[in-house]
Amino acid sequence: MTAAQHNVSDERLLSYAAGTLSPPEAVVVATHLALRPRVAAVARRLQGVGGRLLEELEPQAMQPDALARVLARAETDSGRVEAAPPANDMPGLPEPLRRYGLGPWRWMGPGVRVRDVHAPRDGDCRVILLEIQPGRQTPRHTHGGVELTCVLEGAYATEIQRFDVGDLEEAGEETLHQPRVVSDAPCLCVAALDGQILLDGWLGRIFQPFVKL
Amino acid sequence: MTGAVDDYGRLIEAVAATRDRDAFARLFEHFAPRLKAYLMRAGAPPGAAEDFAQDAMLTVWRKADLFDPRRASAATWIFTIARNRRLDALRRESRPLPAPEMSLALEEPEQPDALVSEAEEAARLNAAMSELPPEQLDLLRLAFFQGDAHSEIARKLNLPLGTVKSRIRKAMIKLRIALEPLRETP
Repeated sequence: MTAAQHNVSDERLLSYAAGTLSPPEAVVVATHLALRPRVAAVARRLQGVGGRLLEELEPQAMQPDALARVLARAETDSGRVEAAPPANDMPGLPEPLRRYGLGPWRWMGPGVRVRDVHAPRDGDCRVILLEIQPGRQTPRHTHGGVELTCVLEGAYATEIQRFDVGDLEEAGEETLHQPRVVSDAPCLCVAALDGQILLDGWLGRIFQPFVKL
Repeated sequence: MTGAVDDYGRLIEAVAATRDRDAFARLFEHFAPRLKAYLMRAGAPPGAAEDFAQDAMLTVWRKADLFDPRRASAATWIFTIARNRRLDALRRESRPLPAPEMSLALEEPEQPDALVSEAEEAARLNAAMSELPPEQLDLLRLAFFQGDAHSEIARKLNLPLGTVKSRIRKAMIKLRIALEPLRETP
């Protein structure tokens, strides 16, 4: 089991900086960056690359009245935009998650509960919070698609790796997943899930009809 | 280059401080045609790219007071606005999807020592970018403008995936934006 930090991959960070990551994944990566200032500094430098590339683009002529139209819209504008007040009941969440409403907690097996984060979906891909009690594991499952998980509290471990607060796990279709919580306190995670989770094993067969994740 | 960047930063500050329309007009003249080009590079038709550029510039007007010249150059800040709206704009014709309101303040609470030198940082980045081999710069443009995953870039350029990955990797290391050194730190 490795104790190294798990940071976002360069490729996914590049997509994040470029704005091409799906919105649910972008929410989870933004949360990861909020917990990892050094990685966030790299993201900021990448956005500097984007700024520089924007400067170098061959300009495309705007409509003759474009500026007048924007100024007319600015005229009717009430002015500056106030920052939206925090929208949920979990003040301990990192800032990128504070602005979204949360659904009710739902039971998902012994020691496991989930609630929806009302962030933008992308097809089947959506953001959830997952809370698992110490010593418990999620029902064994494989992934229908990409799963990105960021640890917010506590820690969990898979067969080969350990994930602590701030760590990001990037699981693909090939990953067989059976994380177990190894912290003394419950483990709280935010995840972007794509597709249905297929539960397997005897526990999964019992829960599958009831669990719509 | 650096002087011009600083200048645009001051124009944004003027918009924030006094709703200065002349300053905004100068920003518009420089950035709106580039924002339009940005969305057209992503495959949008000129009409949609025009709307996108106007909307993005209206956001510059409305959120100018969130601009912090110690943390980002004007171009970087405006790029961030553009990239936050990019997916939404590209998908608008097929189905609406609100983009997550990613922070225009560029996410992270800043470490005090990291605030030291945005100007130095920008100058260093500019120098490093002008030294990149053209084929590495091209790959970065594809990633930033077309929004291609590495596998798509490889298909389009008819290059092995490993070559694409290593070229992007080399570019990121030269720009000191690769994460790999961080990975080895516990």
